[in-house]
Amino acid sequence: MALPNLFRLIYRNIRVNTDPGSLVILVGLPGMYLIFFGFGFGSLASADGQSHAYLAFLAPGIMSFQVLLAGTVGGSMLWADRRYGMLSQLLSGPFTRFQYLLGIILASVLFGLGGAAVMLVVALGLLGSIPTLPFSLAVMFGTIVLGSLFFGGLMLLLGALVKSNTTYNSIQILVLFVVNFASTVFYPLSNSLPFVLRAMFWVNPLTYVANAVRGGYTGSLTAMDGYELLILTVEAVVILALATRAYLRSDISFE
Amino acid sequence: MIFAQDLRHTYDGKHFALNGVNFSVRRGEIFGLLGRNGAGKSTLIKAMTTLIQTTSGTLRILGMDPARDGQRIRNRVGVVQQGESFDFSTVQGNLDIYGVLWGLPKAERVKRREQLLQRFGLDDVRKRRAFDLSGGQKRRVQVAREFMHDMDVLFLDEPTVGLDVIMRHTLLDSIRSEAQRGLTVVFTTHNLEEADYLCDRVAVIDEGKILLLDSVENLKRLYGGKKTVDLTVSGADVPGFFRELGNRLASRATVTVRGNEGVILSDETKGVLSEIAHLSQSFGVQLEWLNVRGNTLEDVFLQSVGHSEGLRGTA
Repeated sequence: MALPNLFRLIYRNIRVNTDPGSLVILVGLPGMYLIFFGFGFGSLASADGQSHAYLAFLAPGIMSFQVLLAGTVGGSMLWADRRYGMLSQLLSGPFTRFQYLLGIILASVLFGLGGAAVMLVVALGLLGSIPTLPFSLAVMFGTIVLGSLFFGGLMLLLGALVKSNTTYNSIQILVLFVVNFASTVFYPLSNSLPFVLRAMFWVNPLTYVANAVRGGYTGSLTAMDGYELLILTVEAVVILALATRAYLRSDISFE
Repeated sequence: MIFAQDLRHTYDGKHFALNGVNFSVRRGEIFGLLGRNGAGKSTLIKAMTTLIQTTSGTLRILGMDPARDGQRIRNRVGVVQQGESFDFSTVQGNLDIYGVLWGLPKAERVKRREQLLQRFGLDDVRKRRAFDLSGGQKRRVQVAREFMHDMDVLFLDEPTVGLDVIMRHTLLDSIRSEAQRGLTVVFTTHNLEEADYLCDRVAVIDEGKILLLDSVENLKRLYGGKKTVDLTVSGADVPGFFRELGNRLASRATVTVRGNEGVILSDETKGVLSEIAHLSQSFGVQLEWLNVRGNTLEDVFLQSVGHSEGLRGTA
């Protein structure tokens, strides 16, 4: 029996984006962050007698970082399909515009979950401990889903609005850099930071993702994580609505 | 299979890309759309493949309305677009992914993929990325890919661009063989020889209107009594020469000029040649090439499009 349309699109999106080059970016890059930053900066911390403390802090952060990468995969898929003619080819086939969009969003979520799972396995290999509570794991991966939806939506919005290759890549790199480093992925939010920088941390959805995943990983979830996830949910809904609107109004090709 | 009545479409609210198009296509027919760039061919293909909804008029594909039954129509048609469209994968991967997208079971997918790789001469490049291929190879992949799934109607938007002679005939023969099995084909082309070779009927479209619509044989017969004079001239006043030639032949011939080349369609070949000889002396131009021949579909096309531009008798 043939798969339903949506699953066929998801299969296609995953297959097209799992070539060796893409996998290096999706899994290799965060894996290297985890290993090099974890041990590199961990050696600084070891001066205080906490050799694995930074690695344990970084591991859930790198899991969270996957949602950002998953989002870029989604945005790039839409942009490339418009640029290289596959969107109009697919839409002249048995698919609706909405199925196509949903196919990208769900593929992004699967990339987020898959990447986070790989990072979790790498972290366990390095640290040897595991969050045993099913509730903690559910919160961690539920947060990954929410984060992937938000950043998938954000990058889809970009993919729907931008036509130029240079502009698309420049904005994507800028977003990746700012969102990644102005979050609690790599370091905790400190009061010693300038106010503007602290404000950037607090409005950054990746901070909410990293805090909740870290809370689940370390078994230290608080009410604050719950509030942040609520905000993240609202933001994801809003950004997905905006992305859908922009996508439905966009040209299906750059002809 | 396809029915269009008073079809109109505008992208900007001012200019009509389709301006009152009427035609129908029968089951198993190969229907050619001929026209210049911007004539409205691709807009018509987009409307028939449900990618755009026309501003007004009636369009039925397989008895269904594209505005209401878009997905049901798309389930039964195939489309080879004018531009490139590939996934970032190998040739084999592109065919395979397309088979999955169309819901083919694995065994059937592999069987068709192998047949198509052979039929379209792609076996040697199956492991190469589609984007890295030459223009002609890419075109072959696009066409082969479309045959991965079953369909009732196949739309091809200039499918033979970039193909060498042998591959062009392989492709055209494949289309003809599928049509003999009941596939209806609508295709656009600039190449009138292949329309002549392949099509049961052709429509000449220009400025969003169908100027001529008939079987290739009938169209040629329509202009059958006439001969075509091709000439190439050189000299100081080539424009003046063609202008005067157009004026003198206004009532007897259609003169189409491109640079220093002219195509004259007339049933009074003797008189045309006499005028050419006379005017070439008067304007001091040299005849580089002169040929008198019977009509082709290209002449029919040039004359019909020339009429719509008011080229008759002008240079």
